[in-house]
Amino acid sequence: MADPATRKKWDKAAATFDFMSGGGEKRWFPFKTRLFGHMQPGKILFAALGTGLDIPAFPPGMSITAIDISPEMLQRAQPRIDKYPGKINAENVDIHNMPYPDNHFDQVFTSCTFCSVPDPVAGLRSLNRVLRPGGALYMFEHTGSDYFPFKYMLDLMTLITSKIGPDMNRTTVANVKAAGFEVTEVNNLFLDVVKTIKAIKPLGNL
Amino acid sequence: MDHRLYFIIGDLLSNISVAILMAVLATLLISTGWNMFIAMALMMLLAMVLCLFPALLLGSFFGAHEVMVPVMFSGMFSGMFSGMWLAMAPVPVLQLVYLGAATGLVVICIIWFINAQLRGIRTTGIS
Repeated sequence: MADPATRKKWDKAAATFDFMSGGGEKRWFPFKTRLFGHMQPGKILFAALGTGLDIPAFPPGMSITAIDISPEMLQRAQPRIDKYPGKINAENVDIHNMPYPDNHFDQVFTSCTFCSVPDPVAGLRSLNRVLRPGGALYMFEHTGSDYFPFKYMLDLMTLITSKIGPDMNRTTVANVKAAGFEVTEVNNLFLDVVKTIKAIKPLGNL
Repeated sequence: MDHRLYFIIGDLLSNISVAILMAVLATLLISTGWNMFIAMALMMLLAMVLCLFPALLLGSFFGAHEVMVPVMFSGMFSGMFSGMWLAMAPVPVLQLVYLGAATGLVVICIIWFINAQLRGIRTTGIS
């Protein structure tokens, strides 16, 4: 059962999502293309698809299961899904309650996902569950900062932004570790706020 | 800093315009005779909150975080300085425009410098 409050918030945000995200997409498109370039043939999970703004950055020919909690977002993503030269199976699924078996996917990708998942560690544990041991998690995320005064500025912004969209002060790298992944690389793209994270599910989780 | 001209101009434009806006807005609230520290603190808080709204709009063209974080500092400092100045003496609006422009320019240059120090790949000390 999807969290109704989160679904409602993102259904509401769907109408203006492309406009509000347009600048960030322009700025970070080359970096996303590089990150998603790690997609390899096999079972790929993409969480969360939103309106599909990331789809043009996907390499062609992949078979991707893409989930999102918001039906409104997925509806707006459909034209981009149709244009993708590969296969995207978009499903209205809550990351906390994914219907996939354990160790099902070879790779998992996220893009600005864990600023919005209500319980980020639980969401990451769900991804850990469905990812095969040794499989890789690739994330493009914005997080809080470890540095003064950015940390406090982002805490203050979150008071407002969390009402209409994402939190700005998540500790995503620590959350990834807390969910049982081994973080292998963090690439700060803007301050220590916008970053890519690479992690693997240790073989010991078998 | 981003080396693409579109984003360099966007960063400069966003910070300078919002800092000017906050400096000019201070004239509506602060007048000569106010306690300088109250004027400074009030404008700091007000500017931080108010500049979020133009930052959200500008972010849709130039990137949300990359605009919002520096613009909040530009607005905050511009509001503080103009609030203090207006509490001390009457200031022509044009002088406040110059103050705002200079504040926005200095803030974005500092953010670019800090960004150059923080950005990059880390593979050790993260697990």
